[in-house]
Amino acid sequence: MNFLVLVKQVPDTEKVKIDPISGTMVREGLDVTMNPLDSHALELAVSLKEKLNGSVTVLSMGPMNTIDVLRDAIALGADRAILLSDSALAGSDTWATSLALAKAIEKLNIAFDLMICGEKSTDGETGQVGIELATLLDLPVVSYVSELIDLTENFVVVKRSVEDAHEVWKAPLPACLCVLKSVAEPRLPTLAGKKTAMDAKIEIYDTESIGINREEVGLKGSPTRVVKVFNTKIARNCRIYADKDILEGIERVVGLIKAVRDGEVG
Amino acid sequence: MILVLNNKIDRSSFELLSKARKLADKASMKLAFLLMSNSKKDVQQLARFGPDMIVLAVHEKFNRFSLDPFLSTAKKIFAKYSPSIVLAPATTFGRTLMPALAASFRTGLTADCTELDVDEKGNLLQTRPAIGGNVMATIVTPTHRPQMATVRPGVFEIVEHRKDDVQFIEERIEDLSDRCQLISVEPKQAGARLEDAKIIVSVGKGLRKKENVEVAFKLASLVKGAVGASRAVVDARWLSHDHQVGLSGKTVKPRIYIAAGISGAVQHLAGMQTSEIIVAINKDRYAPIFKVADIGIVADAYWVLSELVQRLGRENDESGG
Amino acid sequence: MVDELIRLLGVENVKFDPEELEKYSHDETSGVEAQIPLAVVFPTSTEQVSMILRWANERRVPIVPRGAGTGLSAGAVPTKDSIVVSLERMNRIVEFDEENMTITVEPGVITGEIQKIAEEHGLFYAGDPASSESSSIGGNVAENAGGVKVIKYGPTSFHVLGLEVVLPTGEIVTFGGKTLKNVTGYDLVRLFVGSEGTLGIVTKIILRLVPKSKCTAVLLVPFRDIEDALLCVPKVLSQSGVLPASIEFMDKASSEMASRFLNESIPNPEAECHLIFELESTSKQSLTREYIELGEKLMQMKALEVYIADSRTQRMKIWRFRKAIAEGIIAFRPTHCMEDVVVPTANMPKLVVSAYDIARRFDLEVLNFGHVGDGNVHVTFLKPDGMSDDVWKRSLEKALEELYKITVQLEGNLTGEHGVGLKRKKYLSMFLQEKELALMRSIKRLFDPNNILNPGKIFPD
Repeated sequence: MNFLVLVKQVPDTEKVKIDPISGTMVREGLDVTMNPLDSHALELAVSLKEKLNGSVTVLSMGPMNTIDVLRDAIALGADRAILLSDSALAGSDTWATSLALAKAIEKLNIAFDLMICGEKSTDGETGQVGIELATLLDLPVVSYVSELIDLTENFVVVKRSVEDAHEVWKAPLPACLCVLKSVAEPRLPTLAGKKTAMDAKIEIYDTESIGINREEVGLKGSPTRVVKVFNTKIARNCRIYADKDILEGIERVVGLIKAVRDGEVG
Repeated sequence: MILVLNNKIDRSSFELLSKARKLADKASMKLAFLLMSNSKKDVQQLARFGPDMIVLAVHEKFNRFSLDPFLSTAKKIFAKYSPSIVLAPATTFGRTLMPALAASFRTGLTADCTELDVDEKGNLLQTRPAIGGNVMATIVTPTHRPQMATVRPGVFEIVEHRKDDVQFIEERIEDLSDRCQLISVEPKQAGARLEDAKIIVSVGKGLRKKENVEVAFKLASLVKGAVGASRAVVDARWLSHDHQVGLSGKTVKPRIYIAAGISGAVQHLAGMQTSEIIVAINKDRYAPIFKVADIGIVADAYWVLSELVQRLGRENDESGG
Repeated sequence: MVDELIRLLGVENVKFDPEELEKYSHDETSGVEAQIPLAVVFPTSTEQVSMILRWANERRVPIVPRGAGTGLSAGAVPTKDSIVVSLERMNRIVEFDEENMTITVEPGVITGEIQKIAEEHGLFYAGDPASSESSSIGGNVAENAGGVKVIKYGPTSFHVLGLEVVLPTGEIVTFGGKTLKNVTGYDLVRLFVGSEGTLGIVTKIILRLVPKSKCTAVLLVPFRDIEDALLCVPKVLSQSGVLPASIEFMDKASSEMASRFLNESIPNPEAECHLIFELESTSKQSLTREYIELGEKLMQMKALEVYIADSRTQRMKIWRFRKAIAEGIIAFRPTHCMEDVVVPTANMPKLVVSAYDIARRFDLEVLNFGHVGDGNVHVTFLKPDGMSDDVWKRSLEKALEELYKITVQLEGNLTGEHGVGLKRKKYLSMFLQEKELALMRSIKRLFDPNNILNPGKIFPD
């Protein structure tokens, strides 16, 4: 059984700094790490591979420092790591990213039974690339997968978590799963894994080697444009109840709650 | 044409229609609602929020969402009506179907918009929180059509807009093949859903320990509300992800939002700052949550929640007896 | 008396409602009786602190200074008929001096806040106790707080360059300044750091900041045998050529407590204990070289596995376990006694082995965790289910006595970072010579002739 896991590099920080003039993120001096949600997807693939044999390939698109993230994937049990990196790809939106990844998968003839993506990235938070890519590859998709129930040679059975219910779906292989955190708890890399990763070869391709026109991707090939970035202004006039006023504050909240609960206010 | 897309008739449908009506008026466009569902029940309700046209794609297979049949049907309807703008709620439905549609039509899609506008040329200005909610970004799709966006439920106001001549069109649905097969459905446990609750009691690490979260559930049940949580609380597994409010959780807009022991990271604020009244309870007088609150109580969150339970509980006993 | 305080400070700065006083009647120390004070006052300036102390000195009223109340030695628990001076409203950052790498703060600032400001400028406040999210810097100074990075950076006293202090007589004095070295007379800064609020009330603190390390890795290392694990600590320190920022230890009972609290399982749960190493370096390459070298050495020293976390998410995952132990104890086993003994690093294995032996002899449960890199173990005795309170108290007393005897034999000390306070004062003479204690008493008298400041703490009755 062969698995393909899509991973994205994100800044390894909790608190992003914003340049007050340009309104863009200060990336200088920031390390990159694997998008935390993708590490759950990778763990699912690696643990299934360990049970069923086969291989796990990780694929990413990003700047050259993404190599570090792919090495981490190897340390965590991936067998093959592919990076799509090219200045022409910079600024790609979700459509252009999906197109480039689809071309890479076709051109490099990456064989897989199951493609697994994290629900979304912690920086962009769009959650679109997995589904757009699967659509371009004409794969059946199950999104919001919370648990893998069964995987055989021909099909996969998963639990899907939606607003009002848990559903169980069966999809034929090859298929694409967009998974939630709960599918698997990522392991920590071991010393042996880290050593393997140090010597591992990361395959790197550019637009030319996957046969894609530079105009089709990157900023030029992206249907969407960011036209304005601005700071959010949040300010309310807070009435503070502290010290001896605390009980008065509690009474006020009780009054408000009663009014809303019993439907008296507007 | 602006097309609003949903698989059910609910709050988010009305919110989207209300907003889209304003956009349609400004850009002189027609407004249509596409309902893909297994039932026509309540479809008249949609008319109250201003669509010029309601397109019905009704089929028993649309009982539960699955990508293949919804995608093939939506593609046909798109081809027929050529909408210029397509909006859907950022629910598991919208966030799965819309990317697939965008890929099929080779167009752009903006996820999780919190503000929409349209210019005279009919360009949709799509605004969403970016970079972990630290800034807002406005995005356009200048040369590709349709322009597509999913919208956070709970963001837009519901505004009635009656029209006398709403057109109902029923589309014929055929060859609904689906590679995936639904095996079973198990409804999630009832209780007020965060998105619908009028009052939300949200808890943070300031409650000190997992056991103390119980008091929030007591208060929520007394006020017929729901329990929300900060990311720290979900990460510590005091509560499941369903409760998480914020950028990587749910956006909520209740009448009263009580943030108990939540310091107020920007990611959390992004998910609750449009609540009508925000009550913040925190021991730290300088916690950022107070900057977005209307009422701030500087005290131990567990103690204040217990007090609220006591006072509201007492009152219930009196009226009950 | 309350009226006088109100006249002195204004009504908004005095609390005397019994319900509100409850919060100030205890700290986070388990097993020490709470004591409601007469009133709590909240000075907002040095001058107000001075006014309070002058008044108290004249009226001979006992004063108990207090920070955030997270102490673990009952040092801030009020004495009978005392006034608590809470410094929580003196929480201003007075000055951030980037060029001299110092920050001057008032005592009520939460330590984590200082950390945040330092980090925004690429700097680091290295006196970072495990409680930094909730404890205040004033309390850290009073107790000379330690934490998980003491082996590399030292405890709080290493980072305090200067102090402004109000003496029990109400006089305001300053010691030290912004210079890194200073031998102009006796080192009164060091005398005050760790004096547990018995010599004066600190009203301003000048702290030293250091450059923040660029790259960090955390190693989680399970062992089958506790002695194997503890034996390798001094070897790593003396032979590896690398000084880790932290070496932490948690035994099986501790990690089970953390796992239960987090509802998450630790890698190799079957291991008898886990060590945690934190390494810091200037580049990713050198960091990788160092953790591989250290990891290989640990594997040779009978580690079951070496897990390496170098991303923030992974690092946090490991530290979460370590930090959840104390939270788990408080949540699940409220009747406990958390100790703070410290021995020379190489004597650690004997101390830990003895702790299990003592617990067995007195039918108590015990868990051991702590900062093994500096020989500081939080031996924590737990009351077993079903044991009566009386038996618990008696057994605990005997167990503590045994523990301290062995600590003395191992050339160790009573408390490494939590302080003596009320909790440990009766054991002080086991560790200090008579003359030493007499000198300390003279110093106390010199500063506080009327014994109004935090009376009844540190010194045995």
